[in-house]
Amino acid sequence: MAYYLMLFAAGFAGSFHCVGMCGGFACALGHDPHGHGATVLRHLLYNAGRLTTYCFLGGLAGTLGQVICTPQGMTVSLVGGSLDSAQRILAIVAGLLMIGMALQFFGLLQGFHRLASGFGSSTLAISLRSLLTARGRAAPLAFGVFNGFLPCPLVYAFVAQAASAAGALPGFLTMASFGLGTFPAMLMMGGVGHALAPAWRQRGVWFAGSCILLLGLITLGRGILPIAAHIANGWPGGHPA
Amino acid sequence: MTDDRLCRHCLLTIGPRAMRRTVNGENCAFCCYGCCIAFQVKSGRSEEWEAAWLLIRLGVGGFLSMNIMLFSLLLYAGAFTGVDARLLPWVHLLLWIFATPALVILGGPFLRETWLDGVQGRLRSSALIVVGVGAAYIYSAFAVIERGTHVYFDTATMVLMLFTVGRYLEAAGRARAARDLEPLLAAESECATVVNGGVETRRPVREVDARMLVRVRPGERIPVDGVVTEGESHTDEAVITGESRQVAKSVGSPVIAGSINLDGPLLIQSSGAGTATRWAQICRSVRDALVRRSPTQRIADRVVGASVPVVLALGGLTMLYWAQWLPLERALLFGLAVLVVACPCAVGLAAPLATSLGIGRLARCGCLVRDPGVLEALARTRLLAFDKTGTLTSGRAHVVGIESDGAGTDEVLARAAGLERYSEHGLARAVAVAVAARGLEPVPTRNVRTVPGRGIRGSADGQAVAAGNGALMSELGWSLAPALDEHARSLEASGYSVIYVGWGERVRAVLSLDDSLLPEARSAIDALRSRGLHLILLTGDLPAAAQRIAAAVGIETEDIRACLAPEAKRAALDRQRQRYGVVAMVGDGLNDGPVLADADVGIAVGSATDLARETAALVLPAGGLWMLPWVVDVARAVRMTILTNLMWAFGYNCIAVTLAMLGWLQPVLAAAVMAGSSIIVVLNSLRLERLPDPVPSAAPDQSAAVECAPTMHTSSLPIIAGQAIP
Repeated sequence: MAYYLMLFAAGFAGSFHCVGMCGGFACALGHDPHGHGATVLRHLLYNAGRLTTYCFLGGLAGTLGQVICTPQGMTVSLVGGSLDSAQRILAIVAGLLMIGMALQFFGLLQGFHRLASGFGSSTLAISLRSLLTARGRAAPLAFGVFNGFLPCPLVYAFVAQAASAAGALPGFLTMASFGLGTFPAMLMMGGVGHALAPAWRQRGVWFAGSCILLLGLITLGRGILPIAAHIANGWPGGHPA
Repeated sequence: MTDDRLCRHCLLTIGPRAMRRTVNGENCAFCCYGCCIAFQVKSGRSEEWEAAWLLIRLGVGGFLSMNIMLFSLLLYAGAFTGVDARLLPWVHLLLWIFATPALVILGGPFLRETWLDGVQGRLRSSALIVVGVGAAYIYSAFAVIERGTHVYFDTATMVLMLFTVGRYLEAAGRARAARDLEPLLAAESECATVVNGGVETRRPVREVDARMLVRVRPGERIPVDGVVTEGESHTDEAVITGESRQVAKSVGSPVIAGSINLDGPLLIQSSGAGTATRWAQICRSVRDALVRRSPTQRIADRVVGASVPVVLALGGLTMLYWAQWLPLERALLFGLAVLVVACPCAVGLAAPLATSLGIGRLARCGCLVRDPGVLEALARTRLLAFDKTGTLTSGRAHVVGIESDGAGTDEVLARAAGLERYSEHGLARAVAVAVAARGLEPVPTRNVRTVPGRGIRGSADGQAVAAGNGALMSELGWSLAPALDEHARSLEASGYSVIYVGWGERVRAVLSLDDSLLPEARSAIDALRSRGLHLILLTGDLPAAAQRIAAAVGIETEDIRACLAPEAKRAALDRQRQRYGVVAMVGDGLNDGPVLADADVGIAVGSATDLARETAALVLPAGGLWMLPWVVDVARAVRMTILTNLMWAFGYNCIAVTLAMLGWLQPVLAAAVMAGSSIIVVLNSLRLERLPDPVPSAAPDQSAAVECAPTMHTSSLPIIAGQAIP
């Protein structure tokens, strides 16, 4: 439980990065002419769409991690077993990915950034453009669903985390916690919009970077340090719910 | 607003991570990726309704099916075993509740399509999806009611989802192809800012008439043909001339509709109706071409039509076969996989996307395609027949030699020019050009009189001067040296035009004139030959004239057919067709009309007459001969793309159906591969966007042109190459 609370907190911290990026979308969704209730509904739908995508990605990544970790098709021993080497490698890869993502939040590793946000961007941008202007109640939901798929280093970092959790359920829960963590800031963004000063956004981005860096280091440690095995074991492998 | 240091979207200063994109034709800088996308989403043009509508469906459907998939993943991972097993029926029920709207939203269009086809007695690929998905859904619904152990709602919705994604990406790809064509199709919908008595009003181009004043701001497209009356700017006329370079415009300069005003505001006086411009013609022609179907496309459509019943039968057989050994649900899944994987969407997509991209690519450089089949035909062409006059040559004479009887070359030219500047005759202009090129002053001449059909006469320095044909000289009774006479006759026999110039009761010199070779002809011919094309010359001119041009551009003697009447050109082309299969004819069209229409690919170049435009399937812009090799490249790339698309689509279908019938392919995987195959076809086609632009050939090939002047001349002038663009 503590693990997911921490992910929630990381998601919350990371959402300051979202304010810088996806916040633009939330602003663009704007106010509904039918009143305050409709506006709230609009933003809830948008965020629900986003959350669904994150959860789906998490479940998928978790399943993938599980498949990698259990090549013979036997189920992973969820309780008490020690980390096998595949899961260790997965943790190392995920940790390195997260550290890489975190570093480029501080303006380092530019090539990495281009790699992360370059592909598919223009097609998605074109697609989303027509959605924001489209009429209909369902458009924000659809928009949220696609928004979730937008190349975003933060999401990648947490998907990597979900994969290292090696299981559909923990993967799903990882991304769900992260997604819920981003809710407050994104919902706020719909209302406060430009009230947040640019300087604060920058600080938010650094804050988010630090959080991800920390998570990445912990994940990496889970893979490398033999002592960490029993600590880490309590997190994704333990009793999540 | 256009400050480069501020993000276009959020107006923050741009850090090291600046992103530059072109939005709505403007270069914009953004502080981050998010702003970049948000700005594009917010400010980009959004008229692609097909895509938007599909997107909403896809988004909501995605929301539902991702939830279904999530629960199914948890089911497969064994999350509802043991203590939670009693939850299982409820989870199934939940899946059913999610799946029903998803099926309606995502499956609706497919069902509607199938229904409409069925009413008309046709079966198309959507029927495969409807049957397959419907079977999975109905089976699963019964399973929920009867508390069965397995439901396949995830399969049903994921198949629909993946197919819809395929459709969407197809729409996006098409929209992208259409964006290339957009400026070309804009002529009809474009608005012009008409200035009337200081008041500016926006009006559709079709309401603009001659003599109206139109204001064009920088970055806008010039909506009408006309003359600049105010302002200075540069324009890019690539759409019309095919050459992307900046042309300076100031007061008095003519401007062409469809060109882009680059840097300064212009006030233009329209010179004709807004619908009569070449741009509007291009627009109509492109629109026409896009709605037609190429032969390949027709064949592909027929194959698709025939394959659907076959696939339905195969799916049914697969299910029946496996049902003998396996539980019904497994057999049903195998049958579903066959239906899903054999859906021939990619086959139907293979040709039209590549063709419309090719048409757009050509049209952006001013080359018009009338019929989509032309590109494929041109790619298969192995023989190109050229007309001479107006195609390889400018169709305008220039002086190539002066044979004189004692008089100096400069004097002859100066005296001739003194007369000829009073004449509008084509040969007279050639003399004026030759004089100007040598920097001579025409001798002042008085009492100038044109003798119709003969020439021109007058007096200078107290002497009678005349320039014209032999008949004029014999009428005047002026003496002509036998050597000069003989020379003139032999020149005439070789297809030269000849001007006799005389003064003081004597013929002093004979000017020989020839059609000027286009400067780009030689390099275009070389480039075409290097592409493995066989080139021949079909002309109505004398053999000697044809020989000269052929030698200058590098066409072999045995490939010249001279003295051909239009009908004979057609016959000659027919003979070549027997040997080479597909033949193309390049002409300018005065008497080429029939032969252009008869060729497999009729290509009209330059200031082709309207007749040629009507009969030619491919029209190059004025002076666009240099683009022909590039056009061939584009045509070949389009054909190659179509072939690879079709090969991929068919090959994939054959292999995948086999695998599915053997039961080796999961339906969801099959749908993913199917959608993937359509996307690969789209991506493969979009590669056509990256074809290089045509590169104008280098300076006129002087050495080649001089060779075409006979060596017997006592003096030969440098060739004054005819201007490609009048």
